[in-house]
Amino acid sequence: MARITEQPRFKCALGAMQTVQSIDRVVPILHSSPGCSQKLGEGIGTSGYYSSHIFPNSNLGESDVVFGGEKKLQSTIRNALRVIDADLYVVLTGCAPEIVGDDVEEIVNKFREEGYPVVVAPTPGFKGNNYLGHEWILDSLIKQYLTKTDIKTKGLVNIWADVPIQDPFWAGNYRELENLISQLGLIPNTIFGVGRGIDNLKKIPQAEFNLLVSPWIGLGNVKLLEEKFGTPYLHYKHLPIGAVETSKFLLKIGEFAKLNKELVEKVVRDNEKEYYYYLERFANSIAENRISTKRFAIVGDAQYTLAITKFLTNDLGYIPLKQYITDDTPLKHREQIKKYFKDLNDGIEAEVIFETDGYVIQESIKNDDHYDYPVIIGSFWEKSLADSIKGLFISVAWPIRDRAVINGTFVGYTGGLSLLEDILTQQYDKQLS
Amino acid sequence: MREKKLRQIAIYGKGGIGKSTTTQNLTAGLTEFGKKVLVVGCDPKADSTRLLLGGLAQRTVLDTLREEGEDIDLTEVVKLGFGNTKCVESGGPEPGVGCAGRGIITSIGLLERLGAYTDDLDYVFYDVLGDVVCGGFAMPIREGKAQEIYIVASGEMMALYAANNIAKGIAKYARKGTVRLGGIICNSRNVDGELELLEAFAKELGTQLIYFVPRDNVVQRAEIRKKTVIEFESESIQANEYRALAKSIEENQLFVIPKPMTQDRLEEILFEFGLAI
Repeated sequence: MARITEQPRFKCALGAMQTVQSIDRVVPILHSSPGCSQKLGEGIGTSGYYSSHIFPNSNLGESDVVFGGEKKLQSTIRNALRVIDADLYVVLTGCAPEIVGDDVEEIVNKFREEGYPVVVAPTPGFKGNNYLGHEWILDSLIKQYLTKTDIKTKGLVNIWADVPIQDPFWAGNYRELENLISQLGLIPNTIFGVGRGIDNLKKIPQAEFNLLVSPWIGLGNVKLLEEKFGTPYLHYKHLPIGAVETSKFLLKIGEFAKLNKELVEKVVRDNEKEYYYYLERFANSIAENRISTKRFAIVGDAQYTLAITKFLTNDLGYIPLKQYITDDTPLKHREQIKKYFKDLNDGIEAEVIFETDGYVIQESIKNDDHYDYPVIIGSFWEKSLADSIKGLFISVAWPIRDRAVINGTFVGYTGGLSLLEDILTQQYDKQLS
Repeated sequence: MREKKLRQIAIYGKGGIGKSTTTQNLTAGLTEFGKKVLVVGCDPKADSTRLLLGGLAQRTVLDTLREEGEDIDLTEVVKLGFGNTKCVESGGPEPGVGCAGRGIITSIGLLERLGAYTDDLDYVFYDVLGDVVCGGFAMPIREGKAQEIYIVASGEMMALYAANNIAKGIAKYARKGTVRLGGIICNSRNVDGELELLEAFAKELGTQLIYFVPRDNVVQRAEIRKKTVIEFESESIQANEYRALAKSIEENQLFVIPKPMTQDRLEEILFEFGLAI
């Protein structure tokens, strides 16, 4: 039966062009109908070198659909190579050429044989959303761009976490993860963000291990990397937010990488010392506020819903209401993810609901007992809901409309304090009004 | 590391000309030589393996995908037929709806991902529907799949017209890749001067008439009983014809980029060799 999904929280697979755009000096070449990705051109701001809404597209018209779009794609790629100064060109397919059967792989292979850095990833919108598209693009990069190597650099760790740009805090998150890894004496390697690009991409096969910080997205990629390059991976289930979770995170990596235990524990101690200095002083504001009941509901993808649930429950002593995961998690991962929500301090267990329909989610929150002034954390779609139930509102998920996000982050020790700032800000705001 | 060379063969030709019948009978012959064969039906009618399996009960790849998603076991869609041929049907939409071409792309992609092309195979045959109307139906001849194509034709004008048209598509793929035309197979309709006509046609295209399969009603008698001739009447002359066809394919060395002719030239040949007698 057909469903109406109002309040979209993700895009179609072609939306994963944002993954390509967040790799420095890598440009997507779309092979699709015109305007397919015009709505996606929001990315990380909208100006700058090959900003998010400037990209070549073969712009297939009716006769290309009827007679095939291969010639158009060929000239689009050839002209892009002449006009755009980039290090790598990633051809992405939209719905139309995938239905009519354009042999895009063959065309791209010919360019590669001529020595041009062009790869192709199939990302037709009808096959899935941009969470899946992100994985497909990484798979294509792994299979077509990376080469086997005998070089293994000790301590080099590839970091895989969020879907860039779909996660508004991607830039800050990756930078903070790098910072945490560096503190352990390891060498972080990420491909997303400024100054990284193909240099870091090429280093991927040399890593000692891959670190996946995500409940399910990216699991296929690290498995492929293991299969292709023999690189082992550590699957850490969510972004660490706040001291409790970040300390666990650092200790886990220390154990996996067989690092010096004392060194790791010192890093943890030093960070915790600073973190708890602040937390101690604001404990009063948290414990004695007369505005919020410290119940919370999160409406976001598996990554954020899990990461923030852990932070609020384990670090700040908040109590979860129902939690909502909106990323259309593949069925095979759902049971396992539900278990992660049962593993909270003090025997607390959170119920998690997988739902993509915003109306259903909001009715559920409204109609359940939300205990007055709960904390509602979600996307901008949740703002009016929060207002209607007198809740505090914090936006973390796409789409975010009420604040600008440049390189802010909630990851790590300082990240946890940032999120706490946002919650307290909301409290003060409510107290004033 | 694959030890024996896998030959991947695609069979094209006008709708109704006898591709599926010919493919199944010739593969039955190949299994008698001890060859391990996989037959992949690329027709939404899903009738490419009926004679090998003894019926149309085969669950198609696309139906299974629709009902169960991508985590399926290969044994659900690959069945063993006569002579231990592995049989799989892509399936597709009913007439008048959907997009069969995309169906073939999806189905062959899935078979690759599920590991259907095992190391023990000698041959993979793709039986492709008659009218190659969109890019999807050329999926079997994309790089990495069928390297050889045989076109089934008869002495009828429309069959040759279709064969010539298909040769245009093959030429396009052959020029940019490694796929080649292995020959024309004549499925006789007892047309006047059919043998000479087909030989001339093949020569004009730059290829060969690799085998002339005579018309024989035992084929229909076997078909109604859901069997190949080799299974139904193994000692018959027709069964031996199919065995000889299988041998010709097994021993074929002539692979070319076809040179499709103009409509005028085709009609000249028809007049010269065939129908004007």
